[in-house]
Amino acid sequence: MLLTSQKRQGATTFLMPLIAYGLPLFFIVAPFAGFLFYSFFWVEGGVMHYDLTLLNYLRFFVDAIFLPVMLKTCLLCLGVAVLTVVFGYPVAFLLASLRGRLRYALLILVLVPLLMSYVIKIYAIRNILGGNGLLNKALLWLGMIDEPLKFFVFNLNAVLLALTVLLIPFAVLPIFLSLERIPRNLLEASVDLGASRLQTFFRIILPMSLPGVISALTFVFVLAIGDFLTPQMVGGQSGFTFGRIIYSQFGTAFNWPFGAALSAILALLVIPVIALGARFNRKRGSA
Amino acid sequence: MTLTKGAMLSLVAITGLVFLLLYGPLLVPIVSSFFTLDHGSILWDQPSLESYAALSRNETILEAVTNTLMVGAAAVVLALIMGMVMALHYCSGRSASREIMQFVIFLPFLMPPMVTGLSLLVFFREIDFDRSLVTVTIGHTVFILTLAYRTIVVRLQSLELGIIEASYDLGATNWQTFRYILLPSLRGALIGAAVLCFALSFDETMITILVTGPDSTLPVLLWAMTRLGFPPDVNALVTLVLALTTLMCLVAAWQLLPREMIVEEAN
Repeated sequence: MLLTSQKRQGATTFLMPLIAYGLPLFFIVAPFAGFLFYSFFWVEGGVMHYDLTLLNYLRFFVDAIFLPVMLKTCLLCLGVAVLTVVFGYPVAFLLASLRGRLRYALLILVLVPLLMSYVIKIYAIRNILGGNGLLNKALLWLGMIDEPLKFFVFNLNAVLLALTVLLIPFAVLPIFLSLERIPRNLLEASVDLGASRLQTFFRIILPMSLPGVISALTFVFVLAIGDFLTPQMVGGQSGFTFGRIIYSQFGTAFNWPFGAALSAILALLVIPVIALGARFNRKRGSA
Repeated sequence: MTLTKGAMLSLVAITGLVFLLLYGPLLVPIVSSFFTLDHGSILWDQPSLESYAALSRNETILEAVTNTLMVGAAAVVLALIMGMVMALHYCSGRSASREIMQFVIFLPFLMPPMVTGLSLLVFFREIDFDRSLVTVTIGHTVFILTLAYRTIVVRLQSLELGIIEASYDLGATNWQTFRYILLPSLRGALIGAAVLCFALSFDETMITILVTGPDSTLPVLLWAMTRLGFPPDVNALVTLVLALTTLMCLVAAWQLLPREMIVEEAN
């Protein structure tokens, strides 16, 4: 136990709990609770009504627009999560099989882009994916296509590709950590007992790295579903996601309580996903 | 397990592709920053540092950079102090209230940034607190606090309790134990957390965009600029920022990874 001197002093007995409980209460609990409360208010003609109603939540289920968008967004984010794992797993595997400084140097290189300007990256990706973008130009130049492809220009496919590129590092890290923890003697035992490389991979390595894969999937899913800037930038008119709908309630639509209700639904949606990820993290920790 | 040549080659190929995906989008502005641009296309025979000179004259961008640095520094200091107090409180006993405190600290980091940002936006409006760089700093602090707190807790829990008990046995007060025993052992964790928190704050976009006032930080300014397209000075800025963040990452990694691990791995 830390800081439990017998000579109890005022500063540690009163000030420490005051800061430790007071500040989170004011700056975290109050805003979140207030926001949840807000979702039960309503707006009419730009005027806020501060009495409680369930209308906002009702509207989400009754209005034919919202549920399909939400479902589509979930599928999109699941797609992003799967794609990042498909790309991230081999990278993590290569990193884990390297030794020494090279391993960590490469890991850092995988993570550095995360800290690079997010806005610049999505802007650059938009320029690459556009109808006149680098990707189409390159494909034309290579003679693989005769005219610019349209299926990844300002729609949900563009959002899928952009988010995948942006979020790959978040998939590599947890998979790498779970691969790194596999004891080497297990692999040696497997080889000693006559297993082939493929058998060792599918019977030992893959199952033991599964917690990392689940972490990666949940991580990426939560990050993708909360992103409203990327769809705004590369989604165009048809690439409407749940995040964009929420964002628009605080802008053009100007219906903050409805936006709050949609945010609460989003939060409800990500909680089980986060819990799933945390469960696998804990299992890994105790193993 | 040693890999076969074929497996190794395909892994290297996929990794190469991933690096292309990760760095490709950044390559365009970086390369452009060293050449003269004509209507957006690079004149390869005219290398120039003009975009860097233009950057040094662009008051709007420089002001946004200054704002970003100030917000980052303030948020890091606040998050480290708060994180330290909360971590010490968490580690100095066991109780349900401590677990709840920890859960609350994690909340803004676990929730989608949009939910955190909108909560703060509504909060500031309801308590009539005008949006400014102060609200941005609060938003950043709340967001990076998790990271600062977590890093410190992990290090505290790995400390040998013996040295703390010894300190008390020898008659030290809480403050002396903190100042002479805990703080020095936390040095690496604090530096690492500070660098990571600063890096997160430096590029925080989604919360910032929701709680920002008339003065904006760099990511918000860049977001506003995307409507018209970036001037060449932004290319120079991107290059400088990439160089700086890479350096910061290396420092953070160096401080966070225990020395022995690197040495052991190297052998």
